[in-house]
Amino acid sequence: MRVKKNCILPLLLLLFFMSESVLHAQSREGSAFDQSKFVPDIAFIIDVSGVARDMADQKYTSLTIPGFGFPFLNQPSSSGLNAHRGMNFNYGELSLYSVVDPYFDLFAVIGLAPEGAGLEEAYFTTRKLPYGFKVKIGKFLASFGRVNEQHEHYWDFANRPLIATALFGEEGLNEIGAQMTWVAPTPFFLVFGAEVLNGLNEQSFGNLGFSDLTGGVAINAVQGPNVYIGFVRSSFDLEDASILFGISNAMGTSRNDQGYSSGLGNAIDVNTDIVGGELTVKYSLDAIRFVSLQSEYMYRMMNGTEYTDDGASTMVVPARTLGKHHSGFYVQAAAMIDQLWEIGVRYDLLMQNEVSLGGVDQQMPSNLPRYSAMIEYSPTEFSRLRLQVDRDESRFVQVSGKLSRQPYTQIIVQANLTIGAHGAHAF
Amino acid sequence: MKILKIIPLVLLCIQTAFTGRLQVVATYGYIGDIVQHIGKDRVDLVVLARGDYNPHIIIPKPSFIAKMRRADLLVINGGQLEIGWLPQIIKQANNGAVQPGERGFLDLSMHVHLIDVPTSVSRELGDVHPEGNPHFFLDPDNIPAIAKAITERLSELDPENQIFYETNNKEFYGLWQQHMKVWEEKLKPLKGEKIVEYHKIFDYFLHRFGFVIAGTIEPLPGIPPTTKHIADIEKLIEREHVKLLFQDVYNPQDASSYLAKRLNIKLIVLPHDVGAVKEADDVFSVFNEIIRRITQ
Repeated sequence: MRVKKNCILPLLLLLFFMSESVLHAQSREGSAFDQSKFVPDIAFIIDVSGVARDMADQKYTSLTIPGFGFPFLNQPSSSGLNAHRGMNFNYGELSLYSVVDPYFDLFAVIGLAPEGAGLEEAYFTTRKLPYGFKVKIGKFLASFGRVNEQHEHYWDFANRPLIATALFGEEGLNEIGAQMTWVAPTPFFLVFGAEVLNGLNEQSFGNLGFSDLTGGVAINAVQGPNVYIGFVRSSFDLEDASILFGISNAMGTSRNDQGYSSGLGNAIDVNTDIVGGELTVKYSLDAIRFVSLQSEYMYRMMNGTEYTDDGASTMVVPARTLGKHHSGFYVQAAAMIDQLWEIGVRYDLLMQNEVSLGGVDQQMPSNLPRYSAMIEYSPTEFSRLRLQVDRDESRFVQVSGKLSRQPYTQIIVQANLTIGAHGAHAF
Repeated sequence: MKILKIIPLVLLCIQTAFTGRLQVVATYGYIGDIVQHIGKDRVDLVVLARGDYNPHIIIPKPSFIAKMRRADLLVINGGQLEIGWLPQIIKQANNGAVQPGERGFLDLSMHVHLIDVPTSVSRELGDVHPEGNPHFFLDPDNIPAIAKAITERLSELDPENQIFYETNNKEFYGLWQQHMKVWEEKLKPLKGEKIVEYHKIFDYFLHRFGFVIAGTIEPLPGIPPTTKHIADIEKLIEREHVKLLFQDVYNPQDASSYLAKRLNIKLIVLPHDVGAVKEADDVFSVFNEIIRRITQ
């Protein structure tokens, strides 16, 4: 959860709502202009965890998944969930929801951390468009596949599936833009959607322009929307099983610069095309118990040009063609075994990892797995404790230009609690 | 070959979508049954939740979205009984007609008097409903008010059939009053009887017929029984001379059967909705069956 050093907005909001309700309580007559009944649904969620890991924090936060990131290596991230051994404050999440008027709904999620706050999502949706259409505008989690659109606390596991992290980073594909959906008037569920997004997600997209110091190379920044998403999802029931499946496609430009314009580093200008397939099956055994199976597959193709400035030569280093093919999937099974306990297992695999630069294969490691198992105890729907074990064999460190695999095992004890008016979750 | 099975279904549904009949979605079986009694063959009805499942916890299947998408009228229980599963279905259905506040959205809890409205609300007290106990359907005296609200709304949305709906409501009302007399007669001997129930789901029924609720097996609404609470209830049953233990069909019966065996009292599993047990296939038979099971 990325945080920006701006905690003024949520604090002001909180103070506003609190002072309104205090005023309300003081006097009936004085409340002639009271608007406290219009306070939106407010909920606050915190997520904390204790982590035991057979690897020092310093090393863990320098781990990378080779090949997937810019230009080849994922940026080591220390801001992910459960990053440190011992206690982690993963996030606080303040959510606000209300009807705006008969025509719009508004929803906002503010991510809070000890260092500050950041606007995670804020968007409005239409309520009354005819013929099954709906428009959503603002900043939101893209509806690419299943897990990307969900907030962390809805997941069955304490961390994002590996392929989703590898393609979209720890924060997922979260962009400013617009979405339109159409629910077909069919007897079975069928929805079509399209999104137009700014596309700043560095892992797969980017709109930065760059130029060589000598002026030999000049690539303009992408103006306007940079990523286009289309998705279709459908569902049907077989007895007590609900089956939801769909495909998503995200296309855009990845234009990024790391030091190239200032004379030492790389830049890329590539076209990215990502295809995802999803399947969820939930089978009710009785009124309380159910088993669920969830899987997503993603394939990414990137084609374009890579630019290098080694900082030494005064000549422009010739641009090289850059081609990447990546794929991976996860499959997870979970079972609600009684009113309080849920168990689950997950298998993650990064399959293809092909990177070619100037027509030369970069020999990236492929078939990188992670294994996870969890057991969850939920005294009520507002509190949840989870024990998860991960064995991750997908991460590497780069030592003097050579990649070396760094498998690790971790145990996560996670607590997730919600107060206030929190909206119901979707399927 | 499942796809092949779906094709005739698709054709059928496309056909019904153009019949001009009012498309009604009801959240629970009892609502659907009352709609059916009033609307008969002039409405197309879909019921979402299964009658034998916990009405608070329904899996929000995507197939519900498809049903909601085509609805002209959504009838809900309200009182926050659907809060955990329905709001997302409405949001995702992209159907302006059934948004809360529209004429295509009917909240039945607005048409009856709710009991046990808490003076203060805290989740320390379990799964409390700020508007009061939402299981009002189980007071048979509330059924005519519910039927009236449904009749009025159907008439408003489909004025051509207003007389048809009103006639059916009158007929339903007469039939209901006849049954009420029989039920009251049958339960008269049990007036003042002390009982323990699993969840506060039968309160309306029990109040209506003069039972005394001595306690619940759940320590707090929605919280499964703890060993300590079961021991407390055991003492209470002995102290208060409780002889009957009522349980719904969907919660685990371990604690109830343990107490029933140990204290030699009667555990009676009761339907809470249409479809909860196979005998309860409409609103009349829900109450017939509850009373048959209590009195036999």
